[in-house]
Amino acid sequence: MKKNNYIFKITMYLLIFLLISPLVILVIWSFVRIWPWPNLLPRDYGLRGFKHVLDPSTKSLRVLFLSVGLSSLVTLCTLLISIPAAKALGVYEFRGKGFFKMLILAPIIVPPVAVAMGIHIAFIKLGLANTFLGVVFVHLVPCIPYAVRILTNVFEIIGESMEMQARVLGASPLQTFIKITLPLMAPGLLSAGSLVFIVSLSQYFLTFLIGGGRIITLPMLMFPYIQSGDRMMASTYSIIFIVTALIMLLIMERIVRNYYKEQNYFYI
Amino acid sequence: MYKIELKNISKVFENKRVLKGINLIVNEGEMLSLLGPSGCGKTTTLKIIAGLFSPDCGDILFNGKSIVNIPVEKRGAVIVFQDYLLFPHMTVEENIAFGLKMAKIKKPKRRVKVREMIDLVKLDGCEKKYPSELSGGQKQRVAIARALAIEPKVLLLDEPFSNLDTRLRESMRIFVCDIQKKLGITTILVTHDKEEALLTSHRVAVILDGEIKQIGTPAEVYEKPSSPLVADFFGEKNYLEGEIIKGFFVCKMGKFKTGFDKYPRVMAMIRPEEIELTDSEEGSGFWGRILSKQYAGDKIYYKLSANDIQLKCMANSKNMFEANQRVWLKIDFEKTIFFKAEKS
Repeated sequence: MKKNNYIFKITMYLLIFLLISPLVILVIWSFVRIWPWPNLLPRDYGLRGFKHVLDPSTKSLRVLFLSVGLSSLVTLCTLLISIPAAKALGVYEFRGKGFFKMLILAPIIVPPVAVAMGIHIAFIKLGLANTFLGVVFVHLVPCIPYAVRILTNVFEIIGESMEMQARVLGASPLQTFIKITLPLMAPGLLSAGSLVFIVSLSQYFLTFLIGGGRIITLPMLMFPYIQSGDRMMASTYSIIFIVTALIMLLIMERIVRNYYKEQNYFYI
Repeated sequence: MYKIELKNISKVFENKRVLKGINLIVNEGEMLSLLGPSGCGKTTTLKIIAGLFSPDCGDILFNGKSIVNIPVEKRGAVIVFQDYLLFPHMTVEENIAFGLKMAKIKKPKRRVKVREMIDLVKLDGCEKKYPSELSGGQKQRVAIARALAIEPKVLLLDEPFSNLDTRLRESMRIFVCDIQKKLGITTILVTHDKEEALLTSHRVAVILDGEIKQIGTPAEVYEKPSSPLVADFFGEKNYLEGEIIKGFFVCKMGKFKTGFDKYPRVMAMIRPEEIELTDSEEGSGFWGRILSKQYAGDKIYYKLSANDIQLKCMANSKNMFEANQRVWLKIDFEKTIFFKAEKS
C-alpha cells in the first residue's frame, strides 16, 4: 500500500513538472534578450516583448481585442447552431442517425486545408472573402463538430422527460427551453463553449486564408516571430495568448455559475 | 370538476399498434386505475390525454368538449411521472411555484398557494431545499404538490409509487388517496401493481395489449373477470375443461353440481385459494396427490396432480401436508366462474 502511494506521488509530481516546465521556460524566455547555448541561465534580460505588446503604435492590443471579439462571436454562433442539432441527435430517433453523427465530425476528420480551399473560392464569389463575417463563418467549420459532439452527450443524459414535465405544468416550448433545458445543460454549454473558444482563438490557417491578411488575429501576429526565431517576442505573445484564454474561461464560468446559481444540483 | 372521455383512441409507433381503439369514461372526481403489464400502452394513454403525444385517430373530451387540438400547456392535465422529475436547479418552493409562474400568477398570490401546497403535503421546513437533498418520499410529495398547485382539470399519475420502498409506498398510497378525496380531483392512475389498483381506485380498467379488456369496480374485475386473460393478470389460476350437462359440470375429475348453463363447452376457473385441502372426503371435490410444497410463512403454495392434471393451491399454514401425500381437494363448483371454452 505504502509503496503504491510513493509510485503514485512520484508519477503525479513528474506529470505536473512535465506540464509546468514548458510554461516556466516560456515565462523566462519572454524576459530574455540573449540566452546562448552552454549557459544555464540567460545572459541578458529585457522588457522588449511586453513593451512591444503594450505600445499603441504596434496595434497589438487592438489585435488582441479583435481576436477575443471574433472568437466570442464564433463561440456564440457555434452554440446557437449546435444546440438544436445536438438535441436532434441526442433525443430524437430518426433514420440515418448514426450516419449524421459521423457526418458531423467530418470537418475535423478531413484536413481543413482541403476544405478551406473550396470554401475560399465560394467566399470570393459571395463577397465574403477578406471580411470579418467571412472569417467568423469559416471558424464555424472546425468549431461546430466539437460543440455538437459534447452537447449531444449532454442531451442524451438530460433526455426529454424534464421538458415534458415542464410542458405539462403549463410552460410553452420557449419557456421550457429557457427555464428548464438551458439550466440543465449549463455545464455542457460551459465545456463546449470553452473548447470552441480555444479552437477559434488558435485558428491560424483559416483566418489567414479567408481573412486575406486584412483580418489579423493573435496567432497571425505570433507566427512570424516563431518562424524567424525571435524567441522573446514569440514567448511574450504565447503568454498573452494563454492568459487571454484563461481569463475568458474564467469569465464564462462566472457567467454560467451566477446565472444558474451556485448550487451543485446535477444529481442525475 | 371534469369528466374525461376517450373515444376510440389509437396510436401506432414504428409500425406497432400500441393502442387499439381505447374507449374510456372517467367521471367527475373519480379515481380510475389503468392496470396492465408494462408495454401495454398505459403510459402512452396518459401522455395522449396530457397532449404529449397526439392520437392517430379518436377524440378526447373534457366535460364534453374536444381538447385534441389544444396544446399541452393549455390543456390542464398534469402528469406526475414515475421518477418525479423535480427540476434540480430549483428549490422545493420554486418547483411548486413553477406552474403558477408559467400561468403568470402574481407573486403574492403565488406565495399563498405554495404555502397552502406545502401544508397540504406536509413538507414544512423543506421550502428552501434542493431536490437532491430530499428523500424519495419527500420528492414524491413535492411532485404531487407541484402538480396540484396549478389546480389541474385532471391529475394523471404514472406509476407514482413504484420507486418507493414497500412501507413508504403504503403510506404514500393512503396519503395520495386522502388528497384525492379531499380535493375531489378527477384522477387517472397508471400501474402494473394489481394490489395498488384494487386498493386505491373507484374503478379499474384492465389494459392488455393496447385494448381495454374490462372496466369495473375493484371487486367486479377481481371476482368476475371477463376473460381468462384478465383473470390471469390478477394471479395464476387453474383451469378445468369440461361440459355443462343439465346443471352439472362434467370433467375428467367427475360430475359436480353447478348453477351455470350458459355455454355447453366451458373452462372452469379455480383460484388457487379456492381449493381447500383435507385428509378425508368432504363436500364436492376430488382426490389428488401433492407434488411439491413451498412454504411462505402465512401461506403455503402446493402443486398438486389429479388425473394427470396439474393444479396450484394456496393454503394457510394451519394444516401442513407433505409431498406425495394423498389429499382431498374440496372445491365449491357452485361459486366457480366458467368461461366459454376456446376452440382447440
